[in-house]
Amino acid sequence: MTAIGSDRGGPTVQRMLVGAKLRRLRTDLGLTREQAADHIRASAWKIHRLENGQVSFKERDLLDLLDLYEVTDPQEIADTLALAREANHPGWWQHYGDVLPAWFRAYVDLESAASLIRTYEGQYIPGLLQTDDYIRAVVHAAHLTDTSDEVGRRVRLRMARQTLLTRDQPPRLWAVIDEAALRRPVGGPEVMRGQLERLIEATKLATVTLQLLPFAAGAHPAMAGAFSILRFGDQELPDVVYLEHLTGASYLDKRDEVERYLDIMELLCLQAEPPARTVELLQGILEEL
Amino acid sequence: MADDWTTRINTGVPNPARIYDYLLGGKDNFPADREIAEQMLAIAPVAREVVEDNRKFLRRAVEVLADAGARQFIDLGSGLPTQGNVHEIAQAAAPGSRVVYVDNDPMVVAHSRALLAGDNTVAIEGDLRQPDKVLGHPEVRELIDFGQPVALLLLAILHFVPDDEDPFGIVARYRDALPAGSHLAISHGTRDIPQRPDLSPEEMADMGAKVEQLYQLTTASLVTRTRAEVERFFDGLELLEPGVVEIQRWRPDGRTSLLPGGFYGGVARKR
Repeated sequence: MTAIGSDRGGPTVQRMLVGAKLRRLRTDLGLTREQAADHIRASAWKIHRLENGQVSFKERDLLDLLDLYEVTDPQEIADTLALAREANHPGWWQHYGDVLPAWFRAYVDLESAASLIRTYEGQYIPGLLQTDDYIRAVVHAAHLTDTSDEVGRRVRLRMARQTLLTRDQPPRLWAVIDEAALRRPVGGPEVMRGQLERLIEATKLATVTLQLLPFAAGAHPAMAGAFSILRFGDQELPDVVYLEHLTGASYLDKRDEVERYLDIMELLCLQAEPPARTVELLQGILEEL
Repeated sequence: MADDWTTRINTGVPNPARIYDYLLGGKDNFPADREIAEQMLAIAPVAREVVEDNRKFLRRAVEVLADAGARQFIDLGSGLPTQGNVHEIAQAAAPGSRVVYVDNDPMVVAHSRALLAGDNTVAIEGDLRQPDKVLGHPEVRELIDFGQPVALLLLAILHFVPDDEDPFGIVARYRDALPAGSHLAISHGTRDIPQRPDLSPEEMADMGAKVEQLYQLTTASLVTRTRAEVERFFDGLELLEPGVVEIQRWRPDGRTSLLPGGFYGGVARKR
């Protein structure tokens, strides 16, 4: 488990992912850090830092290392460079750094590199689908801050994150939402009406799938709380489970732990209403408001 | 839904759809699936190439069918979503093509509904061994016009239907239910392909027998068939060139591997 708490200047998970890949390629070939270091005219310490995601990547070094590690597939080389480039350059969210806890920043970073986002939400509407007013009501209720300027920045940050869904080649979002999250009138009926309309609208995107988990389903395997599973296009990258707490977040990337969550997600998707039926039910909840 | 959902997915029991996903490099598989897949790869290292060749055969077959005018596809035993799904190939070749995915595995259906369904594309839960139920399913009836030709795809799936479940009768029932101008595409596991330069006929047969034994441990047993048996599925239909052959030799293109083996394939038309 990787706990991301207070280290705001630390490596992004994305950089850690590039580093982890380099480490695997090197050890697969039975090369030492020293051998790798010689190849890029650097120290073993530098290789150690690169592999831990603690320093940014120079494109030349990366190309030389991939060459040493016998990576010849042009697509794989291009994908790795792209990932490293993203890891090196500050994302849009850095502008919001002072209102964004490090753990959430790392998540947003990782989320934007995913190809598939599967999420279960028991209490909230999934963050990627929240309306401006809904976010405002949530931020207000969290009592984290009371200056309206701060609230405004948090709202803009959340909204900026949502551009993910409408960018070129967006990730696929597959969300299971508990009926409780749809019935709780966060911000009052007006806000909820707007939020439900937003959800129904989102289902029209080919890349968004929603499944409502009804009260009638009774007990289910994820009653302990929300979680997300991020999947990445690169075949080498493992799925990552993200768990958010009140004061931080955890990432699970060990295969056996991740697979417990995948298993639970499969059960939830079966227990929940199918996507087409979900749209009808959302419409029904909207009309009851 | 709320009735028996807990018993409908058991990731602790090896499952053919997830084994196939693992062989294709997918991430929707669990330790029990990988265990069987790794045992299979130990017996038959070609298994990974063969399943990739089967996906390439699917692509070529769907493109040929689209060229021949097919605009309605029913994919029976469609499996977990992967790269190059039928609707993507068909709708790229002929926009507006309608595609139904049918599978009896609830996890496959959940994934297909979430990741594949969309405009002109639906996924239903159904058992291919019940042709009348599949063809009469309300969502199938809504999307597919049975007054027009239909392309029926049975790829890498009939080898999970043993003889005592009457696979030939089942396929004949589909054939009879579809209008003239319809097509049938099949790929099927076999152990009688001796043309690989790197394997003797005996080695291939031995691998086939061991892989069949291995599948006894999964939720669906496997039965390989001979070329004559695979040809029998096309009885009463007109086989397109080159007939029933190793999938790698069926209208190969630049992306086709040159080592045949593992599966037979063919496409036929109903007059």
